[in-house]
Amino acid sequence: MEAAAEQKYNYDVVRWFTVMAVVYLVVGATVGVYIASELAWPVLNFDIPYITFGRLRPLHTNAVIFAFGGCALMATAFYSVQRTCGVRLWSDKLAWFTFWGWNLIIVSAVITLPLGLTESKEYAELEWPIDIAIAVVWLSYMFNFVMTIANRKTSHIYVSNWFFLGMMIMITYLHVVNSLAIPVGMFKSYALFSGVQDAMIQWWWGHNAVGFYLTAGFLGIMYYFVPKQAQRPVYSYRLSVIHFWALMFGYVWLGAHHLQYTALPDWTGSLGAAVSLAMIIPSWGGAVNGMMTLSGAWDKLRTDYILRFLIISLAFYAMSTFEGPVMSIKTVNALSHYTDWTIGHVHSGALGWVAMVAIGAIYHMMTRVFHVELWSVKLVNAHFWTATIGTVVYIVAMWVSGIMQGLMWRAYDEYGTLAYTFAESVEAMHPYYAMRAVGGAIFLLGAVIMLFNILMTVAKASSEGSIQRARTAAATA
Amino acid sequence: MNSLKEYFYTDWEAMTATDWFGTILTVVVFLLMVGLYAYVLRPKNKEKFESRKYIPLDDEPTNSGENNGG
Repeated sequence: MEAAAEQKYNYDVVRWFTVMAVVYLVVGATVGVYIASELAWPVLNFDIPYITFGRLRPLHTNAVIFAFGGCALMATAFYSVQRTCGVRLWSDKLAWFTFWGWNLIIVSAVITLPLGLTESKEYAELEWPIDIAIAVVWLSYMFNFVMTIANRKTSHIYVSNWFFLGMMIMITYLHVVNSLAIPVGMFKSYALFSGVQDAMIQWWWGHNAVGFYLTAGFLGIMYYFVPKQAQRPVYSYRLSVIHFWALMFGYVWLGAHHLQYTALPDWTGSLGAAVSLAMIIPSWGGAVNGMMTLSGAWDKLRTDYILRFLIISLAFYAMSTFEGPVMSIKTVNALSHYTDWTIGHVHSGALGWVAMVAIGAIYHMMTRVFHVELWSVKLVNAHFWTATIGTVVYIVAMWVSGIMQGLMWRAYDEYGTLAYTFAESVEAMHPYYAMRAVGGAIFLLGAVIMLFNILMTVAKASSEGSIQRARTAAATA
Repeated sequence: MNSLKEYFYTDWEAMTATDWFGTILTVVVFLLMVGLYAYVLRPKNKEKFESRKYIPLDDEPTNSGENNGG
């Protein structure tokens, strides 16, 4: 079957995206651990501007979200759309354009961000020429995906493709509007919006990047790879349809909950919080749908380490999609906003949900597209435990640190003056910043183990000639 | 905010064409979504929807998911 698939589908571009995703996971996590260490031990700045926290932080977020996340989304979308539609990608050349274009953008980010060339918009820091390149490459990805669906051999479009497509359409719209700017030089521009409108557009983009890129896209991964790895159909297809439409309708309202107690009209924040709370229902519906796919076959978790990644990612997805709405409530937000609690929340979603589901999908694809077993199954298990423990250590550190920060900042003495100076709160954070760096380092260790295992699997496939054998077998069959 | 009535007070006279367009579009999309839910959850349509969940499994008849990897 897989030999025939090698001939029928374009696996070349999937292989490259898959391996590069793992490379970028290591790069992005390494930068993350370094900047976390800088916060705990500022001497690590070495007074070199290029490696200060302010310049490396956007490099970290761009590397993990757009380099690792982007390559994982492109690999999985191109892989699953071919298999669920029963046809080859519409254009091999366009797929390669997407691959090289996306990687060129990543290289541009690696060069420009440490140099301090930035639009200063969170999660959209890259300057205008790179923004245009992102739009062009993203559209090439979407166009190839849409045309592949248009050419499909099946009558129905499987739900994972709906999620991928929802992400592609919304990210195009969000990226273009949020990036509207007036260039004043090759590497300098000013946002078209100003004041509170700029803030609103920024968080309309910011939260929808989470909602459509890091959630809808990765739910596309979940709806294809959980059933595949479990060898069981998704628990309820009807629930997946409702999950999709509720997500598409609901997520666009949430951005304003990032701007509670600001110049934004009060009602917009309340609306954002109300819809955020409503979003718990479809999010949990989706998480339960994924987990219950294993109903009657939970024993698979004992032996199938890849399935462990996929299922624990759903546990983190459920946890994050409960925590987020709770944090959007004004009373909770008054304590949590601007504290490390937000960082803890983001990383429970990013490490626990996004990274874990992508890692599970990547391990699954490796055996299919390279036509060999993984070099070491034990290392997959080692990776699972390091990733899980690292994530938990990280988020616990940030939860404790964040709540402590919030309480210290709002504490008053009997005379109505602040009980603590800001510097005292920073000093109190030190043990948790060190703990966060350790948690991140444990997660990074897992990522390095994965990269080693993946490269050894590629080397094994190369030495055994498995890809060539699959091609030949398919051709002679 | 003294009361819910005050909180939900709307100055209808101040609504611009853009405001009305956005409001009407949102309500229409919401109603369409409710209609879709009723259609999806109608017992008569259950089999039609659920039959589609086998699509990812149909391209790989062998059971190769055991013991990790493969």
